[in-house]
Amino acid sequence: MRWFRLDPVTRRRLQRFRRIRRGFWSFVILMAAMVLSVFAPFLAESRALLVWFEGRPYFPTFQYLEMATFGQEPPAGWDGREIETEYFRLQREWRVEREMHELARVRAGSDAAKLAALDAKYPNRGNFVVMPPIPWNPYQNDFSANETLPEIQSALGAGNQERAERLARRDGLADLARAIADGSIATLLADPEKSPTGTLAGLARTGAMPSLAKLGTSPPHPPDAGRRHYLGTDAQGRDVAARLLYGFRISIFFALFLVLSAQVIGTIVGSLQGYLAGRFDILSQRVIEVLIAIPGLYVVIILAALFQPSFWMLLAILALFQWIGITFFMRTEMYREKTREYCLAAKSYGASHLRIVFRHLLPNCLTPLVTFTPFAVVGAIFALTGLDYLGYGLPAPTPSWGELIDQALQTQNRDKLWLILAPFGALTATLVLVVFIGESVREAFDPKQFARYE
Amino acid sequence: MKSRGEALRDYVARRLLLMIPTFIGITFATFLLCQFVPGGQIDQMRMALAGADGGGEAGGGAGDTRAQLDIPEEQLARLRAYYGFDKPLPVAYAGWLADIVRLDLGTSFRYNEPVARVIAERLPVSIYYGIITAIFTYGICIPLGILKAIRHRTRVDTLTSMLIFVGYAVPGFALGAVLSNLFAVRWELFPLGGFQSAGAAAMGPAAHALDIVWHSVLPLIAYLAGSFAVTTMLMKNSLLENMSADYVKTALAKGLSWRRAVFVHALRNSLIPMATTAGGLLGIFLTGSFLIERVFNIPGVGLLAFEAIQTRDFPVVLGFLVISSVLLMLGNLLSDLIVALVDPRVRFE
Repeated sequence: MRWFRLDPVTRRRLQRFRRIRRGFWSFVILMAAMVLSVFAPFLAESRALLVWFEGRPYFPTFQYLEMATFGQEPPAGWDGREIETEYFRLQREWRVEREMHELARVRAGSDAAKLAALDAKYPNRGNFVVMPPIPWNPYQNDFSANETLPEIQSALGAGNQERAERLARRDGLADLARAIADGSIATLLADPEKSPTGTLAGLARTGAMPSLAKLGTSPPHPPDAGRRHYLGTDAQGRDVAARLLYGFRISIFFALFLVLSAQVIGTIVGSLQGYLAGRFDILSQRVIEVLIAIPGLYVVIILAALFQPSFWMLLAILALFQWIGITFFMRTEMYREKTREYCLAAKSYGASHLRIVFRHLLPNCLTPLVTFTPFAVVGAIFALTGLDYLGYGLPAPTPSWGELIDQALQTQNRDKLWLILAPFGALTATLVLVVFIGESVREAFDPKQFARYE
Repeated sequence: MKSRGEALRDYVARRLLLMIPTFIGITFATFLLCQFVPGGQIDQMRMALAGADGGGEAGGGAGDTRAQLDIPEEQLARLRAYYGFDKPLPVAYAGWLADIVRLDLGTSFRYNEPVARVIAERLPVSIYYGIITAIFTYGICIPLGILKAIRHRTRVDTLTSMLIFVGYAVPGFALGAVLSNLFAVRWELFPLGGFQSAGAAAMGPAAHALDIVWHSVLPLIAYLAGSFAVTTMLMKNSLLENMSADYVKTALAKGLSWRRAVFVHALRNSLIPMATTAGGLLGIFLTGSFLIERVFNIPGVGLLAFEAIQTRDFPVVLGFLVISSVLLMLGNLLSDLIVALVDPRVRFE
């Protein structure tokens, strides 16, 4: 621990950083966002946080529970034991049972036998589901807009009014549910003005029933609080908010890993250049010259086009060009520090070169490292987002801001503003926080006291 | 004792000589990179021969259909010989390098034209954006930096700092995407992209110029948003440093007005660091930001190189890499020379 014991100078710098409010609060907010993003499965996930079923709690977040567990009706052609519970649907189904049970009870009056029959008819009214704030995971395609109407239509066709009403209520189609309950749906469907085809799809198309109007369209869908798509869906029907959240988690940790590895390499190379000088310095400077003269991003794209890299591979490819920046500063610092007395003292009592560099000199050369790191993080997020936008970043279904921007720039999506504003807002907010931190760190570590004449 | 002119000449000569090993390093690295890739030259020619690839327009898909194509072995051998792939690597590299040195960059697969001409055709667009960006950057950053230095730690300073750092934090291409979806698609105030309208050539010169300016408003905002922070802060810090230097104190002590001391004495010296950034512009003219070029579909050199990667048009990729790295090296030398010109204290060692 002695390596990291804070000397008075560092402590004063940290105090100065705390006093720069803009930077300090940016730091607090960014840290909080990062910690939150680690718990993303509790914030945006299609699995429920808690299911209360027949007097017993279930915690499905990290657990597979089939539909049969809760008696959920599987899609046509499937067995309830074959597929996982759809918790968001389950939540709405049970809620509707509760509602309809209440309504039926009011209608039934005080007839004990009728009430008992009702209680038996709605067995799930006491169960409930607690969903995460965003009940979608970032990979899930929500095509429900295409599925709801046929489902209700087939219930109507089978003469099952009660089921049709239940489905309409489940999906928040209040006016349709009312029309089914009071029987007026039949006259509506028979009217060729309102429904030329005589089906619900026809009703949706003419706009005679307002709540149906948004059904039957294909994604991207605009923000819809009822479906809990707070920022809309993308072209594959995936929830934008969920993808932003997971995209943040991937971007920020990718950037941190990248910068960490690049700075470690750069610091080692730069320190050795400055300390060893001579032949090693000259040779490695030539290598660096070659590397900085090559437009890095193009080479990264060429390599990415060849390998279709995974997370760690892309990180390694980008690190190839990222480590250079810091070497210049470390080299200069080392050239200066190694002539100081404490270095000579260490040398005179026989410390090895490695010990002198990493134990004695490095702790005194950390200022450029600390002050440049936030800006390196900005650069790394830039690079990852840019590569994702070009299609040479992380492989396809990975939630990513750059990929959303790419979607927003497709001709058919250009007027769907939520697709561009959401990732742009997230990107800008994150980067502004990091830049503010960087500015404040720089100021705290390198305060030039300037004379003023006025 | 050499005169300053002789020293300068020797210095430039030495620097140019030092560039040779770097140039060899760069070209060797890029050559290697492009030789061992699937979908490279041989594969491209195979596709062209098999008629599967209509002039290389099918972007990125070069590798996928490779297996299905059956080319007679002797024809392949002829192709390899044509591109020097039948020779050992150093010989092939030497042959290619000899061509490069003679300014022969090869022929583009996609356009079937000399690479040099393909790049030259795109150059005016890149230069236009490069020059405009440079004018705006310096035209705004230098006055703003001076203002911020004089008003150091006042509200103006804090506010402009906030602004330029927010601008710095926003990636230009993402800003460009927002701008084009809002101003070009939603409100239809500006054109969607491109360098000029389709019928621009038939317009009069004034209308043509206006058309180009009209097309460049949104891209320029995207280009510029991030470019203020670094230069402005460099200007500000350099002026602040000079304002507190002893020679300014002396000037004030002998009775010079504050205005004269700052704007004549301190300002002139604080412009020196700005000169170091000037040489870098040479490279920017060429590369620009191909991300922004892609968003706005601007046919610049950067976008050309990106599309060349996509379509595996490796002669163009190599040519671009070679040209831009040479320009970067020359730009560095130019920076040093400009600094030496404006600052007589610099010695050539």
